[in-house]
Amino acid sequence: MAHYIIDALAMLGMSYVMGFLFYGFYRQFNARVQRRWGPSVFQNFFDNMKFLFKTETIIHGPMFFFGPMIIFAGAVTTVLFVPYLKDSNWLQGFSHSGNLILIIYLLVVGPLGNALAVGSSGNPFGVMGVTRGLTRLMGLEVPFLLGLALVMVQHETASVHAIMAAQTDFAHWNLMTNPIAFIVMILPFMASQHASPFDVVGAPVEVYAGPRVEFSGRLLGVLMTQNMMMTVAKLVLIADLFLGGATTIWALIAKTFALFLLTAAVSTSFPRLRTEQTVDFFWKIPLGLGVIGVIATVWFPWS
Amino acid sequence: MNLITKLLFLGLSFTPAATFFTWDGAVAWSLFNGITLSFDLTPLSAFFMLLLAIGAPLIAVPMLREKSDESAYALYALLLLGMQLLLLAGDFIGFFIGWEMMTWSSYLLLLRSPRTDLEGAQSYILFNLASAFLLLAGMLFLYSITDDFRIQAVDGLLTADKLVLFVLFSLAFLIKVGALPLHLWVPRSYDQAPDLFSAFLSALMSKMGIYGLMILPLLFPDGFSEISGRFLNGPVAGYVLAWIGVITATIATFKAISQEDMKRLLAYSSIAQVGYIVTALGVGSSLAIGGALFQALVHTLVKLLLFITIAGIILQTGHRRFTDLGQLISRMPISFFGVLIGIIGLAGMPPLPGFAAKYLMYVGLIEAHWLLLLAAMILASTASFVYCYKLIYGPFLGHANSPEAKTATEAPWQYLIPQIILMGMLVALGIFPGWAIDVLIDPVLIGLNMTPIGAPTWAQLSTNYGGYDGVVLMSVFATVFVLITALFLLIRGNMHRAASPYDLSFCGEVPTADTPLHYGAGMGRELRRVPLIGWILRHTTTGFYAGLTRQTQAAAGVIGTLYGSNPQTWLLLAVLIFAVTLTIQSVTGA
Repeated sequence: MAHYIIDALAMLGMSYVMGFLFYGFYRQFNARVQRRWGPSVFQNFFDNMKFLFKTETIIHGPMFFFGPMIIFAGAVTTVLFVPYLKDSNWLQGFSHSGNLILIIYLLVVGPLGNALAVGSSGNPFGVMGVTRGLTRLMGLEVPFLLGLALVMVQHETASVHAIMAAQTDFAHWNLMTNPIAFIVMILPFMASQHASPFDVVGAPVEVYAGPRVEFSGRLLGVLMTQNMMMTVAKLVLIADLFLGGATTIWALIAKTFALFLLTAAVSTSFPRLRTEQTVDFFWKIPLGLGVIGVIATVWFPWS
Repeated sequence: MNLITKLLFLGLSFTPAATFFTWDGAVAWSLFNGITLSFDLTPLSAFFMLLLAIGAPLIAVPMLREKSDESAYALYALLLLGMQLLLLAGDFIGFFIGWEMMTWSSYLLLLRSPRTDLEGAQSYILFNLASAFLLLAGMLFLYSITDDFRIQAVDGLLTADKLVLFVLFSLAFLIKVGALPLHLWVPRSYDQAPDLFSAFLSALMSKMGIYGLMILPLLFPDGFSEISGRFLNGPVAGYVLAWIGVITATIATFKAISQEDMKRLLAYSSIAQVGYIVTALGVGSSLAIGGALFQALVHTLVKLLLFITIAGIILQTGHRRFTDLGQLISRMPISFFGVLIGIIGLAGMPPLPGFAAKYLMYVGLIEAHWLLLLAAMILASTASFVYCYKLIYGPFLGHANSPEAKTATEAPWQYLIPQIILMGMLVALGIFPGWAIDVLIDPVLIGLNMTPIGAPTWAQLSTNYGGYDGVVLMSVFATVFVLITALFLLIRGNMHRAASPYDLSFCGEVPTADTPLHYGAGMGRELRRVPLIGWILRHTTTGFYAGLTRQTQAAAGVIGTLYGSNPQTWLLLAVLIFAVTLTIQSVTGA
C-alpha cells in the first residue's frame, strides 16, 4: 500500500514538474521563433502558483465547482494508469489494472467534466466552446484510435505493458515496425494536446469565447495543473507505444521531449484551422492514410 | 377499487420475474400432425427474460401515479404475456404468436396517446407487420424444407436455402431493431407514445429484435460462414450485418444531435446504440457476442433510466423541447443525477458499465481484424458525446427558458424510486464488470456453444487482449476526487457564488433577462459545416424512399417502352422466343 502511495505521488510530481518545464520551454521556443525573448522556463510554474493562491474565486453553482474537480480526478487517474517506466517496479501506478483502450477513454473524462461545469456557468460562449471541443474530439478520435488499433492488431493485445515489452531495441520500436500507424495518429495526437494548428477551441487571443471563459482564481489554477499533467501523460503513452518505452527516467524525459519538440515545431509553423476544417482534415488525410494502412497491413496478407 | 386495480397491475408487472425465478423444466404441448408447441427457458432467453423482469416493474411504478386506466393495464398484460411467450418458445409457432401479440398490443397502447398522429400509427403498424410477415415467410420456408418448426440448427440444406432463410429472418429482426433504412417507425413511435411507454419500447421491445437476431446463430451454428465464406477472421454475411449496424449507428447519432426534442433525441440514440449490438453480433466471436449481450443489458438500464427521468421532467414542466427548458439542476437534483449517470453510461465512459460493453465490442472487432468497422464505430461513439451533452445541458444547465422551467419542482417519488434503483444498478455493474460476465453472460455463451469469456474476480473484466479492474478504477477516481476537493477547500482563499445568473463575461456587456442565453437547441447546428455531417443531415430516409419510388417509376417507364403499342410486334416476339427455346432444347437434347 505504501509502495502504491509513494509511487503515485512520484508519478504525479514528475508529471507536474515535466509539465511546467515543457510548457515553459514551449513559450521560450515560440518567442524565439517570433524573435522575442520570451518568459523564463519557470514562468508556467509561477503562473500556476499565482492562480492556486488567489484569494477570490467566483463560482456559478455547485456543478461549476465540481466540474474542475472531476477533470482533475480524471487527469490524475489517467496519469496513474499509464506506465511510465519499462521493466521497473517504480512509476507504474495502477497501470497493471488497466489497458490502452481504458486510457484512451480516461483521456475523455476531462472534456466531459469541463462541459458540465461550463454548461452550469450559463455562459453561451463557453458552451459554444465546449461544442467546438466535442466536435474536434469527434474528428481526432477516429484516426487516433485507428492508429493505435493498428498497433493493437500488430501485437494482438491492448495491454500497454505487453506492447512495450515487445519493443526490445530500436529496430523493434513500433515507430520502425509500424510507421504508418505512427503517421496516422501523430497529428490527431497533437490535436488532443490542444496544440496549434488545431487549437481554435481554446485559442487564447483570437477567440473571446471558449471552454475556460468563466473560470477564475483557484479553479483556473486547478485546470492549468491538470492540463500540464495530462500533457505529460499523453506524451509518455505515445513514447511507450511507439518509442519502445523507457527504462530510466532520463530516457523517458528525452523521448517525451522529442515528441513535445515535434508538436511544438508543428504548432509554430502552421496557421490555425477552424473547427470544421480540423474535422474535415482529420477525416480526409490521417483517416485516409489509416484506411490505406489497414488495407496494406491487415487485409493484404488476406488471412 | 382503484387501489386494487393498481395493485393488481403492479403484481402483473412482476410476472416476468416470477417466470424467471420459478420456471423449471420444459413444457411440450402436442398439436396436430406431430407438431408440438414447446416452451423452455434456455440460457439465452433467460438473459432477455431477466431484462424484462427488471424493466417491467420499474416502468409500472411511475405508471401507478396516473389515474387507473383499466384498458391500458389490460393491454400491458397482453404485451407482457406476448413477450414472455416469444422468449419461452422453443419453436417458431410459439415465437410467432408471441411476436404478433407483442406487435398488436403495443400498437393499441401507442394509439392511446393523444400525441399519436395517423402517420406515426401507420408507420408503426406497417413496419411491424412487415417484420411479422417476413418472420412468417421465413418460418414457413423453414417448415417446407425441414418439416420442422423447432428453433434448432439447420444442417444439410443447400446454401441457397440457407441464404434465403438468413435474409428473411434477419430482415424481420432488423426492422424490429430499427436498422437503417428500416427505422422510420422508431423515432415517430418513441416520440408519440405515452412518455413511460416510450421507455418500454426503447428499453425492452427493441431487445426482442436483438433476441431474434441472436437465435440466428442457433440456426446456423457455424456462425454464418457456411452461407457466404469468410473474410479476415469472420464470416462475410456477418461483415455485411456489421456494416449495417455501424452505418445505422453513425447516421442515427448525427440525426440525434440535430433533434430539438428530448424524446426524439433518445429515440435516435436508441437506434444508434442498438446498431452497435448488431455490429457486434455480425462479428460473431465469443468476445463480440459477450459485448453485444453486455451492451443490451447496459442499454436497457440506461434507456429505462433516461426515459423515466425525461418523463418526470415532461410531467413537471409540460415541455419537451430543449429550447423551453434549462437550469433545472437546482430544482430537480435527483433527476439531474439520473440523466448524468444515464449519459455517462450511454457515452461509454470508464467507471460505468457502458465502457465494459464498448471494450468487449472493440476488442472483438480488433480480434477479427475488422479495423475499418472499428473506426466507424469509434466515430459513432465519439459523436454520441455531443448529443449526450445536449441531453444534459438542454434541460438542466444554462438558463431557464420558460416560466414552467423557472418554477418546476422535483419529480414525484414514484418516478424517483426507479431512477435511484437504476442508478445503483449501473454504478454496481460498473464496479463489478466481472460479475456480469460471470453470472449473466457466460451461461448464455456456454448455451450457444461458445467459449465463455471468464472473469478471474468479480471486479475484473479480462480478455486475452488484456482487461481492467473496475474496483481499482473506481476507487482511484473516487479517492482522488475526494482528496482534491478537500485540498481545494483547505487552501487559503474565499469562494463565493456569482451575484446573479447574469454575472457573466459576455463580450464586455451585461446581459439582461431578455438576452437569449440558453444555447439549448442551437447546439450541434454548426456541425453541419463539416462536409460529411452536412451531407448526412441534408438527406432523410423519407427522401431516400421518395428517390427509390422515382427511380422505380423511371425504370418501369424505360421497361414499358419495350412493349410497343403494335400487337404484331408482341406476336412476333412470342413466336421468336418459342422458336429459340425449341432450337436450344433440340440442340441440347433435353
